[in-house]
Amino acid sequence: MSKVTLNQGAVGGKLANRVINILLVLGCLTIAFPLYMTVIIAFKKPSEMTNDVAGALGFPQAWSFDNFAEAMRVTDFWHSLANSFLLTGATVVLCIILHSMAGYLIGRKMAKRKAFKAFYYYLVSGMFVPFAVLMMPLVKQTAQLGIANRFGVILLYVVFFMPMNVLLYSGYLTNIPTALDEASCVDGAGVWQTFWNIIFPNMKPMHATVAVLTAMSTWNDVMTPLVIMSGTDQNTLPLAQLNFQTQFGTNYNLAFASYLLALLPILIFYIVCQKQIINGVVNGAVK
Amino acid sequence: MAEIILNHIKKVYPNIEGKKKKGEPEKKSNLLVTEEGVLAVQDFNLHIKDKEFIVLVGPSGCGKSTTLRMVAGLEGISGGDLMIDGKKVNDVEPKDRDIAMVFQNYALYPHMTVRGNMEYPLKLQKMAPEEMRQRVEEAAEILGITQYLERKPKALSGGQRQRVAIGRAIVRNPKVLLMDEPLSNLDAKLRNQMRAEIIKLRQKIDATFIYVTHDQTEAMTLGDRIVIMKDGVVMQIGTPQEVFDHPANTFVAGFIGMPQMNIFDAELLEKNGTYSVKLADLEIELSPEKQQRLKANEVKAQSITLGIRPEHITLAKKAEKSLKGTIEVSEMMGSAIHLHATAYGKDTIMIIQTMNLTEEEKNSISIGKEIHFAFSGNMIHVFGKDGANLEA
Repeated sequence: MSKVTLNQGAVGGKLANRVINILLVLGCLTIAFPLYMTVIIAFKKPSEMTNDVAGALGFPQAWSFDNFAEAMRVTDFWHSLANSFLLTGATVVLCIILHSMAGYLIGRKMAKRKAFKAFYYYLVSGMFVPFAVLMMPLVKQTAQLGIANRFGVILLYVVFFMPMNVLLYSGYLTNIPTALDEASCVDGAGVWQTFWNIIFPNMKPMHATVAVLTAMSTWNDVMTPLVIMSGTDQNTLPLAQLNFQTQFGTNYNLAFASYLLALLPILIFYIVCQKQIINGVVNGAVK
Repeated sequence: MAEIILNHIKKVYPNIEGKKKKGEPEKKSNLLVTEEGVLAVQDFNLHIKDKEFIVLVGPSGCGKSTTLRMVAGLEGISGGDLMIDGKKVNDVEPKDRDIAMVFQNYALYPHMTVRGNMEYPLKLQKMAPEEMRQRVEEAAEILGITQYLERKPKALSGGQRQRVAIGRAIVRNPKVLLMDEPLSNLDAKLRNQMRAEIIKLRQKIDATFIYVTHDQTEAMTLGDRIVIMKDGVVMQIGTPQEVFDHPANTFVAGFIGMPQMNIFDAELLEKNGTYSVKLADLEIELSPEKQQRLKANEVKAQSITLGIRPEHITLAKKAEKSLKGTIEVSEMMGSAIHLHATAYGKDTIMIIQTMNLTEEEKNSISIGKEIHFAFSGNMIHVFGKDGANLEA
């Protein structure tokens, strides 16, 4: 009997596997196809952009980097890249330092002290406030405070990523036994030393996760720099992409070349940190 | 020099009764609940002499770890005074108490090497690197972990990790060394080995030890004095021999000693100033020493709880004055047989040395058979019906 059931199970499993595989392939296509088009178009001359299928999907006649050079000139690439790097880098560093501290304190004290629990919920509820709601007041406030510049944008990022990051850090903290805090405390360390010497290094997988999530969101964000820094001449890369959408139409060849250029740094960052991210997510999931 | 005085120490956890949801099962705890909250430790008094080895022992939830953590400063003290070297340290931070602690789960810093772990407390003291290296190597030498100094904790076995944890504690020559069930995560063989090492270690370093365990063997073998606790209350404080020979109550009597003491319901009789106990038909006169103690306490004839240790029971012939029971289980341990018998409605355990038995007697011990046993009057423990030792 049991053998038959096993066989049936195996057949059912195989079928389920096939269905899942097909779904995965479809999912993969929906991502790969637009990506393919982006790459192809980025290399084509505008004259090759005919309306037939070959014009849209075929390979370019010559693989030339002219579009990229032109896109870099139009978007003032190096300047925008530097700006993006500055914003992303500063945000990531500040987020890791500040949010891990907040996460540590809240995560450790939440169980015993109601005030910390309340503060935790208050912070996390911030995740449900859409940026659009706060946009206009923030534009006004940053202007009044004189921080409608890169500093203001970094500050806003640090605030906006706080709910998610504190949630991640305080969740990850359950993986670090409180005995470590206590041991450090008995060994002669204060709270500050315990955090920097023991807790901070042990949260490394979560630092990587937070760094990647924060970096990707910051790097790709258009809205915040657009509304806060408009007119300051300090474009970030995504902001520079808007140059291609003129009143009279879009130059797709230049635009796509530029998108690929903007994508490259964050892609490299992701590949480097990939192992850490997966570790971080799994660690968070198991416990 | 470290003399520790615990003076009416108390620990209260705020009452959580009000928050309890409906339908939630009642917690099975015998801890005293007052208006303030749950009393995890009540009225703990102990004067620990310099370099003494004190063992806190008791079943789980008895407050022994809480007491230790209060001494460490990891847990606040709700009432009473804690004095280390004559200074009141109730509100002193753990780092300023000059104590070291070994945790049950080792609590090694996973991102540091063994050397890093052992250097950490010294680094916090801002010790010179050369001296630090020397101290770490000395401690590693004592514990036999020199070859592992550059490894991370995860590359070590349980026993090695525990050595590192002890090393981290002794490396800065603390006044007081606290150990919270340090051996309970190790397997039986390793535990015996480490127990011996702790005894050796104690001779090498000058520190006052407080050791928490639920294992009475550890308590008996390690402690200069043992503190036996139950439900947050100290039951008895004494040397291992004292608590074994003169348990203060039936709880201590049952907790110390392996297998545990047999308990019977009996009568204490007094005839012309001579005490004897009557169990079933058997009347046993108590030893002169016990007579004196009972007299001094002016104990009257009454129903009592009689305690007798398994190793003090001897087999008897049927004709002699004896008690009888039916053998339920017979455990051959090699040099001795542990017999479980039902006698007078109680499960009775007796340890019979095999070398004293004749072949005939050995054969007569089998399950379901009736046996006769007896014990002498100087081995009997006399407890009142409330459990307290009447001789004390």
